[in-house]
Amino acid sequence: MSLACPIERSIAACNNALLATTPVLQQFTVQLKMEFLPAPHLSLIAEQFMLRDFVTQSMPRFAIGCGAWLVTAISVTSAADGKLDFGRDIRPILADNCFRCHGPDAKQRQAGLRLDLQEDATKRQESGLIAVVPGDVAKSALIARIMTADKSERMPPADSNKVLSEAQKDLLKRWIQEGAGYAQHWSFIPPQKAPLPTVANQKWVRNEIDRFVLARLEAENLPPSASASTDRRTLIRRLSLDLTGLPPSAEEVEAFVSDVDPKAIERLADRLLKSPHFGERLALDWLDAARYADTNGFSIDGGRNMWLWRDWVIQAFNSNMPYDRFLLEQIAGDHLPNPTPSMLIATGFQRNNMVTHEGGTIPEENLTNYNVDRVKTLGEAVLGLTLACAQCHDHKYDPITQRDYYQLFAFFNSVSDIGLDGNAGKNPRPELQARTVLQSGDQPQVEADLVRLKKLLAHPDPAAVTAWASAQKQELAERGQSLALHPLEVLKVSTPNRGAGWDIESSRYVKITQASDLVAYDVSLKLPTTTTPITGIRVVFHPDDAAPGGGWGYGPSEGPARRQSKTADKKPDLKGNFVLTAFSASADAVAGDQVNLNQLLSVRRVTANSWQDAYPPENCLDPRNENGWSPAVDHEGNVHLTATFKQPIDATQTPYATVQVNFGHGRSQVAARFEMIAITGNDDGSPLPADIITLLEKDTVEKNAAARSPEEIDRLSTYFANHADSTRRVRTNIANLEERLAVLTREFPTMVMDVAAKPRDTFILHRGDYSQPTDKVEPGLPGFLPNLSESVGTNRLALARWIVMRENPLTARVAVNRAWQMLFGVGLVKTSADFGTQGEYPSHPQLLDWLAVDLMDCGWDQKALIRKIVLSATYQQSSAATPELLARDPANRLMARGPRFRLSAELIRDSALKTSGLFVPRVGGPSVNPYTPGDLWREISHYGSTPATAQAFVQDHGEKLYRRSLYTFWKRTAPPPNMTVFDAPNRETCVVARPVTTTPLQALVLLNDVQFVEAARAFAEQMLHRPGGDHERLSWGFEEATSRPPGDGELKVLTAALNRERKRYGANQQLARELLSAGESPRDERLSIVEHAAWAQVAALILNLSETVTRN
Amino acid sequence: MHPFEELQTTLARRAFLATASHGLGAMALASLLPASSARAADSTLKPKSNNIAGLPHFAPTAKRVLCLFQSEGFSHVDLFDYKPTLTKHHGEEIPPSIKGTQRLTGMTSRQAKYPVVAPLKEGRACGQHGTWISDFLPHTQTIADDICIVKSMHTEAINHDPAITYMNTGNQQPGYASMGAWVNYGLGSENENLPAFIAMVSQGSGKNPGQPIFSRLWGNGFLPSSHQGVGLRPGANPVLYLANPPGTDRDQRRAFLDDLAQLNRQRAAELGDPETLARIAAYEMAYRMQSSVPELTDLTGESAATLEAYGPDVHRPGSYAANCLIARRLLERDVRFVQLFHRGWDQHIAIARQLPNQCRDVDQPTAALLNDLKQRGLLKDTLVLFNTEFGRTVFSQGQLGDPNMGRDHHGRCFTVWLAGGGIRGGMEYGRTDDFCYNIAENPVHLHDLHATVLHCLGIDHERFSFPFRGLDIRLTGVEKARVVKEILV
Repeated sequence: MSLACPIERSIAACNNALLATTPVLQQFTVQLKMEFLPAPHLSLIAEQFMLRDFVTQSMPRFAIGCGAWLVTAISVTSAADGKLDFGRDIRPILADNCFRCHGPDAKQRQAGLRLDLQEDATKRQESGLIAVVPGDVAKSALIARIMTADKSERMPPADSNKVLSEAQKDLLKRWIQEGAGYAQHWSFIPPQKAPLPTVANQKWVRNEIDRFVLARLEAENLPPSASASTDRRTLIRRLSLDLTGLPPSAEEVEAFVSDVDPKAIERLADRLLKSPHFGERLALDWLDAARYADTNGFSIDGGRNMWLWRDWVIQAFNSNMPYDRFLLEQIAGDHLPNPTPSMLIATGFQRNNMVTHEGGTIPEENLTNYNVDRVKTLGEAVLGLTLACAQCHDHKYDPITQRDYYQLFAFFNSVSDIGLDGNAGKNPRPELQARTVLQSGDQPQVEADLVRLKKLLAHPDPAAVTAWASAQKQELAERGQSLALHPLEVLKVSTPNRGAGWDIESSRYVKITQASDLVAYDVSLKLPTTTTPITGIRVVFHPDDAAPGGGWGYGPSEGPARRQSKTADKKPDLKGNFVLTAFSASADAVAGDQVNLNQLLSVRRVTANSWQDAYPPENCLDPRNENGWSPAVDHEGNVHLTATFKQPIDATQTPYATVQVNFGHGRSQVAARFEMIAITGNDDGSPLPADIITLLEKDTVEKNAAARSPEEIDRLSTYFANHADSTRRVRTNIANLEERLAVLTREFPTMVMDVAAKPRDTFILHRGDYSQPTDKVEPGLPGFLPNLSESVGTNRLALARWIVMRENPLTARVAVNRAWQMLFGVGLVKTSADFGTQGEYPSHPQLLDWLAVDLMDCGWDQKALIRKIVLSATYQQSSAATPELLARDPANRLMARGPRFRLSAELIRDSALKTSGLFVPRVGGPSVNPYTPGDLWREISHYGSTPATAQAFVQDHGEKLYRRSLYTFWKRTAPPPNMTVFDAPNRETCVVARPVTTTPLQALVLLNDVQFVEAARAFAEQMLHRPGGDHERLSWGFEEATSRPPGDGELKVLTAALNRERKRYGANQQLARELLSAGESPRDERLSIVEHAAWAQVAALILNLSETVTRN
Repeated sequence: MHPFEELQTTLARRAFLATASHGLGAMALASLLPASSARAADSTLKPKSNNIAGLPHFAPTAKRVLCLFQSEGFSHVDLFDYKPTLTKHHGEEIPPSIKGTQRLTGMTSRQAKYPVVAPLKEGRACGQHGTWISDFLPHTQTIADDICIVKSMHTEAINHDPAITYMNTGNQQPGYASMGAWVNYGLGSENENLPAFIAMVSQGSGKNPGQPIFSRLWGNGFLPSSHQGVGLRPGANPVLYLANPPGTDRDQRRAFLDDLAQLNRQRAAELGDPETLARIAAYEMAYRMQSSVPELTDLTGESAATLEAYGPDVHRPGSYAANCLIARRLLERDVRFVQLFHRGWDQHIAIARQLPNQCRDVDQPTAALLNDLKQRGLLKDTLVLFNTEFGRTVFSQGQLGDPNMGRDHHGRCFTVWLAGGGIRGGMEYGRTDDFCYNIAENPVHLHDLHATVLHCLGIDHERFSFPFRGLDIRLTGVEKARVVKEILV
């Protein structure tokens, strides 16, 4: 092994020594490394070596995640031949230790000395000294200053916390001895195709990539690993997960294994590249980079509508939009000639930044922050530059001036966005109404399904209607049994954002004295001292003289149409009404100020003595502002709502309750005067409308259901179809399909870029502070990079053209690197967001450049790039690692083996869905809310006092539970917990490489999250539906999940587990029933409960295998 | 010991463990798994946390941190920073020389008048040093000799999102690691059954429901996600996904995990896949957490006297009081960083009505927690931080005399207090002007506070960094921050 640096050699030597101590210890050491591999740990060990400074400068700076493999790694970024290379060996040392004070930033520059430019470094300073005298170490002041024993003189100075290692000092000396050559930073020079290297092992080579990789391996004297193409199973799994994010089915695996065509791999790759899931897979990484989310992010973090942009990204990848076009449209689609809606949607890329409408914030400050984020994202996602560093001063490490920074900033500062925006579920402006560009092709099927389901619903099974009717009659008969009403003492009322506006009368009535929009009242109550279980709570609303027309509330009678003008259509002569948008209650041992979200009482049933058709009482159980309960205006007297709890309250244990009544509908739809009553016994109300009650009671009187008229039967059937629990699944499916149809055929809002009528001026901001503008600047491009040859103006199109012009040295390299990172777990440049001088030198610079040029030569064809990589021998190597190889190149930077890494958060969930058969492959559309424990949103949100959406979590049903994870609604302040534990970022800022950790919380998700428990149940059903005995079924299931059949040993473990669980559940069927109750998907009731539960446990075992969540 | 020798020793110890017990289950990983599993197996080697190299930089005075974060900015004017001048000038316009030209929030910047509002309640000199504390906080008054009140805190931010993000992550913009995540990253865990950084949220009775808060406040930012704070919530699932699925019991889970480990280990050996072994260990810790967490949150063993001390709210799951008691139990178990967020201090409106309620929420439990820690010998090596994101204006928001009157945000000066490991109790530090509007003496920027917290943990904040985006990022930012040595023992 060739190591450039003595310290690295010493690490390796230490390791070798350790390995050599005794065979036993050697074995243990391997074991140890294995144990230490989870992300942070090797870096921790590295740091225990006190090598951190060294390691971080010559090795990856992004020392997390896979970067944990520092210790034993050979230096992949140093030459095999031992010759010094300024860019690779010297600049990183100077950059990390010297540039801060002797680099591009003129304001910070000390003693007038600049070391990043040859001319400056070698000229005589005012002091008479010369820092770098080529060929003359003794005369070079730089060497004198780093070697001196005088601590006050020594560079870098002590307070910089930087220390040069002896090795680094030696390197600097050698460099000066060898003539102190300088070179421009590698990534700032346009890439060129180097001649393909010659290699000894010609046979191994499949395409150009392999020549570069093998040449390096041969220089290191490392053989490549066996090709996984001999292990077809591994290969199809790898390709399927990489290109579609989904594992192959067992059938697909077997078909590929038995495909003798030598072109089988190419055909497979081509098939996967054409899959509609390819775009979803590729979109995942871009959504991270573009910080896509469904909420505004700051403060109240209300919902926004941006999924049209996500659809655009998926479509762009699926249709293989050239990468230059991909960027051009996203950055400046609105400036293209005759822009189509698609081009405008694309500009949402730079609207994905977080936005605030926090009251009291200063618009100019917010707008500055938005543009700062846009420049940062452009830098990290597109250019691989840490532009953000130049917000406050010239970049300290890269030649980016503060002026460059604000010139880039100016490109985005012309949009007509405003400083505080995005409330009430409305998008921060500017926005566009448009149709999705996604070509999903599922419209005919959706329409057919809708016809079928509606027909199904229109003709319910008469037997089911009859059974339902009897059950309803039974409930009606039990209405009001043992009912007793206990008026409650009001201890306290509180409400969001208001300190006043209500009174408590006679300790019993809450009287609203100041009506306003959007307000929830938390009423703290003393429960009656009764040992009888309290079955529910009734809220009684009284007519009040203070309300218009002596009504129950302050809002217009007709209710609907929230958030319109408050006064325009108010008719004072009509009876004032209200809309109760949500009811929630909790019981506690002590009185509370607000409903205790941790102790919410589950409501079994809600009734009212009056309602409008569009505002039925059950709407109160949905916490959102959009719907609610409102009484019919013609009702006389009091109106009331009664909630019956699933578990009655025991007032001896919890003598206090808090009830929250939310009037979130706007237009002053607030009640005027109400009281709370505890009920014991049965509610005397019914959720059924009066005519249905009459019908059913008529039956009771006549004792003859058959006597119903056809009209009556029709009325009952219709009501049953639209309201019964047993028809809910069909109704949900219809609603989901109707929404889908709308998605495919109607226009929806999405945020876009535009140019304001009066674009804002841009100034260089002193220290980046919005309130300290200095020089005015115009949009412009950084001076240190090649510029556009022609003038194309100063709008965003000029920026976009510059980014994708051939001479731009960064764009193609960054794109290639990101593709490489996706396929190998780590990029050729490990610091994929930073190609500047503080970034890591590429492991294979010539390969990176070759591919970058090739990408441009092929018209920026992204699929061709990916195809080339996946068809290389390099990619197709086996990922099995020997202890020696692990020790020598733990991070696999030399690629002497195939890559292996844990699947990303989304892919883990998607794989479980696919394997279980629950997966719904629908592409695109609005975000969905699958299972999430509790209401994690409401706990931290501004619920109850804001029109902002996404303040309370409402789980979706039906197919929305089984969509791909990239469609999961992303609330930035409370992102889905089962994905963030697997390192999904919160999408607040641009992320181009996720760390990879291994934690117990991940185990808890895979074991206990209902999404995965349900998947195990469904997967078990799949296995049980297979022909054959236990072994055949287990083998199939194992292969479905891991893409290979189990070995004998594995089968033995699985069989033993299955039999053990059979015994367990055989002895207690109730437990089996409980396990099978997880999730909302229907179960095949023909399957034995015991068998199904036992198989569900084994299915969970398979889904929890490390191999299942790992890309081989 | 030479670092390399130290590593060798560690290696040997691990190797021993790995074989002696197939000790994968006992093996450490990520932040949640400290390297102290050796304790039982190998008492000759002192267990070591999974801290990063060279940490601590020097002898710490605190092992753990308890951060009682009072979200939304409590009124330093009313609670701690007593100025008789305000009573004297009550109702008068704040002098322009005091108000200056600093920016105000959009909520008061257009007010026609800025009348001074006297403290809402009397206070008294407390403890041996006569520290003034408001009568809103009678229990806090009794611990005056244990706490160090810093009255000269300041921040540039004037609105909640940037200010609270700043105080908790050292930066006003998102994307940075929280203080707890930094400490977790630096020092690791001392407990092998619980996460190293735990966060809890409670609603306040002052303002309902208070300003929103965000997971970024206990997030990992650019650090690996294993360093993020783990939320602890009341109820059956204190940690999300902790409970086994229905129809699955603990014995069954044990057998399941044994099968899983066997299958995983076999495959790992075939492939030489170290990651799998780490995953086996993670499953084992998950299994242990399933018993350690419920044991932790079960308060039935607490004495009546203890429960009484924390006040009646301790019986309401999820309340600040209940969280305080759980915090003590966490600290007893050597959880490194425990942070409570109590919402509801945003008294823009009806401060006279809201503030007493809000103070009642926290006063008794906070004092009880401090005493409890003291009695159990935990206070001496636990750093307690009672902080917030900014203070409130001495002038009124809204009309004086209106029941809806409140106080706006004020970042120019505010108050926090510290106690415990390494902090001098019974002292006050920093001084504001006669209107507690500007700092008159010894300013303490929030970065200085962060530097001081790290210092107590034995960490030199200037040498504690993480390479990200081309920079060595520090909790204390790029400007010079200062350890407030004057408040240290």
